[in-house]
Amino acid sequence: MNGVTRRVLDPAGLGPACDALHEQHGRMQMAYALERDDGGLEVRYLAAPGSGQAFELWCCRPADGRLPTLTDRAPLLGWYEREMQDLFGLEFGGHPEPHRLVLHEGADPSVPPLRRAAPPGEALPFVRAPWTEPDIDGEDVQRLPFGPVRADVAESAQFVFYYLGEGILHYYPRLFFKHRGLEKRFEGTRPELGVVLAERVSGVGSLGHALAYCQAVEDACGCRVPEYAQWARTLLQELERIYNHLHYFAILADATTLKVGNAQGRLLEEDAKKINARVTGSRFLRNMLIPGGLRRALSGLDGLEDALDPLRRAVERYLAKLNATPSYRDRLIGTGVLTRRTAFDQGATGPVERASGLDRDLRRDHPYAAYESLPPEVTLAETGDADARAAIRRRELLASFTFVSRLLRAVPGGSLRAECRPEAGSGGLGWTEGPRGALYYAVHIGPDGQLGRVKIKSPSFSNWRVFPFTVHGTDMMDYAINEASFGLTIAGCDR
Amino acid sequence: MPLWTLFGLRAGRATTRWPDGGDDGQSDVVGMPRFQPERCLSGCRECVDACLPGAITATGGEGEASIALDYGRCIACRMCIDSCPASALTASGDWAFGVRDRRDLRTANIGDGGGDEPAERLRAGIRRAFGRSLHIRHVDAGSCNGCESELQALNNPFYNLHRLGIFFTASPRHADVLLVTGTVTYAMRDALRATYEAMPEPRWVLASGSCAVSGGATAGTYASGRGADEVVPVDVYLPGCPPNPAALMHALLLLVERAEQRVHRGRVS
Amino acid sequence: MSVLVLVTACCLPAAFAAGLVAGGRPVARALLLAGLAASVLVAVLSLPSGIDLGTTPALLPGGAPVAWRLAPAALWLYLFGAIGALAATASRSALASGRREGLWYSGVALSLVGAVGTFAVQDGVALLVSWEIMSLGGAFMLLCETPDRDRGMNVLFMLGLLEFGSVALMGAVLWLGLASGGPAFAGFHGAVGGGSGVAVGLLLLLGFGAKLGLLPFYEWFPGAYESGSGATGAVLSGVVLNAAFFGLARGLVDWTTGQTPGFAYLVLAVAVGTSILTALYAFQQDDWRGLLAFSSAENGGIAVTLIGAVLVLRDAGLSQLAALAWGAALIHLAGHALAKSGLFLTSDRIRRATGSYGLTSPGIARLAPWAGAAVVIAGMSLAAVPPTPGFISEWFGFQTLFNGFNLDSLSGRIALALSGAGLALTAAIALATFVKVLGLGLLGRPAENAPGQTGRRWIAVPLLAGAVLVLAIGMPCWLAALDTGMSARFGHGASELMRAGWLLVPLTPHFAFISPTKLAIAIPLYALVPVIVVLAVTRMRARRVPVWYGGLQERPGPSATTSLTFSNALRRYYSFVYRPRETTEREHDTADYFLHRLTFSYEDAPIFGPWLFSPVVRTVHWLSRGFRALQSGYLNFYLALIGAALMIVLVFTLA
Repeated sequence: MNGVTRRVLDPAGLGPACDALHEQHGRMQMAYALERDDGGLEVRYLAAPGSGQAFELWCCRPADGRLPTLTDRAPLLGWYEREMQDLFGLEFGGHPEPHRLVLHEGADPSVPPLRRAAPPGEALPFVRAPWTEPDIDGEDVQRLPFGPVRADVAESAQFVFYYLGEGILHYYPRLFFKHRGLEKRFEGTRPELGVVLAERVSGVGSLGHALAYCQAVEDACGCRVPEYAQWARTLLQELERIYNHLHYFAILADATTLKVGNAQGRLLEEDAKKINARVTGSRFLRNMLIPGGLRRALSGLDGLEDALDPLRRAVERYLAKLNATPSYRDRLIGTGVLTRRTAFDQGATGPVERASGLDRDLRRDHPYAAYESLPPEVTLAETGDADARAAIRRRELLASFTFVSRLLRAVPGGSLRAECRPEAGSGGLGWTEGPRGALYYAVHIGPDGQLGRVKIKSPSFSNWRVFPFTVHGTDMMDYAINEASFGLTIAGCDR
Repeated sequence: MPLWTLFGLRAGRATTRWPDGGDDGQSDVVGMPRFQPERCLSGCRECVDACLPGAITATGGEGEASIALDYGRCIACRMCIDSCPASALTASGDWAFGVRDRRDLRTANIGDGGGDEPAERLRAGIRRAFGRSLHIRHVDAGSCNGCESELQALNNPFYNLHRLGIFFTASPRHADVLLVTGTVTYAMRDALRATYEAMPEPRWVLASGSCAVSGGATAGTYASGRGADEVVPVDVYLPGCPPNPAALMHALLLLVERAEQRVHRGRVS
Repeated sequence: MSVLVLVTACCLPAAFAAGLVAGGRPVARALLLAGLAASVLVAVLSLPSGIDLGTTPALLPGGAPVAWRLAPAALWLYLFGAIGALAATASRSALASGRREGLWYSGVALSLVGAVGTFAVQDGVALLVSWEIMSLGGAFMLLCETPDRDRGMNVLFMLGLLEFGSVALMGAVLWLGLASGGPAFAGFHGAVGGGSGVAVGLLLLLGFGAKLGLLPFYEWFPGAYESGSGATGAVLSGVVLNAAFFGLARGLVDWTTGQTPGFAYLVLAVAVGTSILTALYAFQQDDWRGLLAFSSAENGGIAVTLIGAVLVLRDAGLSQLAALAWGAALIHLAGHALAKSGLFLTSDRIRRATGSYGLTSPGIARLAPWAGAAVVIAGMSLAAVPPTPGFISEWFGFQTLFNGFNLDSLSGRIALALSGAGLALTAAIALATFVKVLGLGLLGRPAENAPGQTGRRWIAVPLLAGAVLVLAIGMPCWLAALDTGMSARFGHGASELMRAGWLLVPLTPHFAFISPTKLAIAIPLYALVPVIVVLAVTRMRARRVPVWYGGLQERPGPSATTSLTFSNALRRYYSFVYRPRETTEREHDTADYFLHRLTFSYEDAPIFGPWLFSPVVRTVHWLSRGFRALQSGYLNFYLALIGAALMIVLVFTLA
């Protein structure tokens, strides 16, 4: 893999390596397991030593399917380790919450699903069993399970509140109802078709996923993407950022009961989606990317700037109006405070972490596509409350419009795509900074030249882990606003 | 202190008049591929190999009948269009694919028993009772959230589903239609079934999106099902990945017989 | 008639004696029931004119014989209290069992003897004796039911505060006796006036208020009531509360006339303050008995507010309005006695079904639907929902208070208006409280191991609820019972002032009216239409499905509303009164990100406990520490003290 330093560690060396990483103010990013060709398991940890330095990939072979947990040093690895437990049958000694995460209690696979020995296409035997919950002792406390079928049009997940009529004592989200086993679906697919699957991991993040996937495959085969394609990819990513942030503000206005604000936000999002359709034929920017470049040229570029201009002005007026509404601001300020330490420890990413003072943005720190030559402006806030999260996104949204204008003024020439055929046994890492945060794809090509192991780390996976820490001890009235201010998807998390 | 009400009033009307004339909002959107089997090259299997969800199959027949297309599995990724050397599959703007009978999404040469009857079941009085007032309970049974995004768009000022008398409700007890998106993952099977059971009769089911129709791109893994009709009886199938808001409106109007089905035996009429 | 009086006079003391004897339990119970039944008949037959019971020998040597006479108001109050006590005795639901149950009956008998004495005696000394006997009876009942030391401390606290009241009462009786030249009540009328009148009134307020639960004395209520059973509570909140109220009302209205209006305002302020505070605390309780105890204090406060209004209005010369207020107070406590007894007995049934008196969801409404309906009626009366007597009395009360605009003085108008506002706040909180009681106490799903029926069939509570309805619906008739008494006091009878045909009116039908009688006919008629619809619908085939929780099956138990979650909003809003303290302990594994266990508990602070009683106790301790110096243990010091005492005696005799 390019741009990534590899280190091989043995299980005992993981802890000290983690400590050393923290001393240089680095952070763990993700961990995943894969099955080697000889049938043994290998666990890979992705670490970000510091801004400007390349990623580090630590490869470690578990002894007898066991590894020591790193959760006490890097709490954010807790979910990754539980995922590996569920899907690969690994054991992490000393894990404080060794319960099911990805597979619900009661799912009883004969072989861990992501192992090669698991029978392909066989449905998971499942009889719903009670979940492991923390012990809440107090006969006055009420337990509210909300979901998985929630009000209005919403994704399925269950949220469990322990509350006292108004104050929430403890909260935890029960996700992975929508776990589709996508990472397994990738296995055996042709690398150039894999992008179709990647786009369908999370619909509103289609382009980000497709881009990260393509970059991973391009990293595996070492090909250079033409300049036009890089340029187009950057333009499309910023268009995705625009419509996602508009949706976010519409939902936030709805949560603070500004009905007209909600309607206007949705209308602007609709205009942005129409622009997406104009440029690519798809409202979600699908069907454009392929490893090596683009599948077809962008259309409608001539009048695009004229189409974007009125939208930009409407968005500026809209955001200014929202910002000047006292009831809206009042309900955001001080709500759902995420401390910097928790954001760092629990692996917050994207606008959520930037609102808590952590200065990280993949577009600037590990540039890809055309961001190398055109670094974006990164905004930061300190308070970590809902208002800060909204403010970060507001500035990003306006910056996206400016960025797109810059891009449109300098359209490069060049071909659409380059040849990209990764070899058997190769692997690559791709990443993007989407509207919700850092997205990683680790792609391993199998011995037959088809896709082997594909690991997807979506920003919502990281942020859902962080979210409960802003809810404990707050009020029910603030919960909806807090959740809206995080702006997470569930499909990206559940895969 | 901005007055949002005044802002809304001054903004005027943003709603389209569609389907009673006007702009459906999908002028640039590319829909399902149009299939002209008469152009096929003999022995060519490029599209079959390029189709990830297996919507295009080789039937073993001859000439035109050698390739069968099941729109219920089509995710409109256009890989088949890109790979076809003879332009038998071309991009089109056809997206109004809501049908009552699953067989109508398959081209005629897929042998699947049963006759050629039009299979448009008539529910006496559905238009009279529900034509102007339909309540929908949506259940996400494992989608990628693209369908949810388009469903949420139905209530934006441009489409404004309420003007057709169609509403989303929070409780299945108040619902007439169960709108299912997603392939029905293992963890959502009991929840989906419970939602269906919780609805009073008469009730209908709309499977929205290729995932709900047939499992789509993600079908058949250890966790993912093969569509909603494995769990609940489906009345209207709407493929698309995702189906755009106009297609959703068409399918809902089709359900209450205020609109006509446009696709028969895999052909757009 | 005289036979019935004789039966009562014999049975009650005999029941006391029988209960003390081992094995006398059934006899005591039979005697008690007979005595109560006889007394109820006496009361019914003697209204509206009252009854003269004769005389008993004097208690102090050289004094006049003690006259016993039951005024109509006393009969009215006693009647409804006795019905409640009858139901409580018949229900056999006291917590005492075996030998102790006999003692419990003795306690009831003592309380009844004391109550009758308080109602009937016309002599100051006899009043004090009956008062003490009544307090003793209450303590007897409670102590029979509580075996452990901590609960016993609550009873001691109750007795302590009641003793304080007794001392104040003694002071008042002495003062009045000195002023009028003898202990007989006949002389007390108008014996003191002006400043002395205010002082005597204050002492009466403290004395009777200790039993009624006026602030700050209500603080013994929760502890004491929660030491006993619902049956004890029914007796304490029925007969005993009514006796205390009668004593206070007679004392303030008859004995201390012509005080400054300031005193009446003080009475109003104390009473309204009591009702608001006790209503607030009632709402936060999670135990049936504690909640109903605070509610009793609240209703006592409402009745005393109306007495305060009587004082204000009578001093301003508006005797008709004063009579209206008096009538309202009597009706209020009548309905209260019946309904409160019903609810206390319900709590005993709940305890039998679930094992505790807590406000959980025992599912009584499913186990015994008709009894549940009866409980709802009793609750409605306490929440002042039409067409119950609680509603009638609140309505009359508000009519009186808001008629305060007829007063000349501005301060009077303001006082009555503020009292009306306070009463409105109390009524609102009381409504919420009884929604909580009925919702949490009746609804829900019965536990899996609950018996199909809660013991024997419920009789007492449905009968009491029926009595509540009868009282409300027939109110235009029963008002005649109060005619004589009110004419004697205020110059106008109840029938003349409070009814017009079948309507209940505040003096005149042109201002406003209600008619529970007509409502009782109209409601069933209106209900015919929905009943017909329901009957028609139930013929349709119904498909039963599980409760919708969001797609999954959830256990209903942990999701049910608890007492705290229902009251939490008001608790936060009035946190300056409750000063709540919540304790959340979290136990973590490894870092404090991974919660392993969470323990939650909470506490509300009483008002007078920390701010009045604890400082008083601390002062007494400090004083006693000071006086302990006298117990130096040195013989010489004692001899010196004796010497000093002798010197003082010498000085006094020589001087």
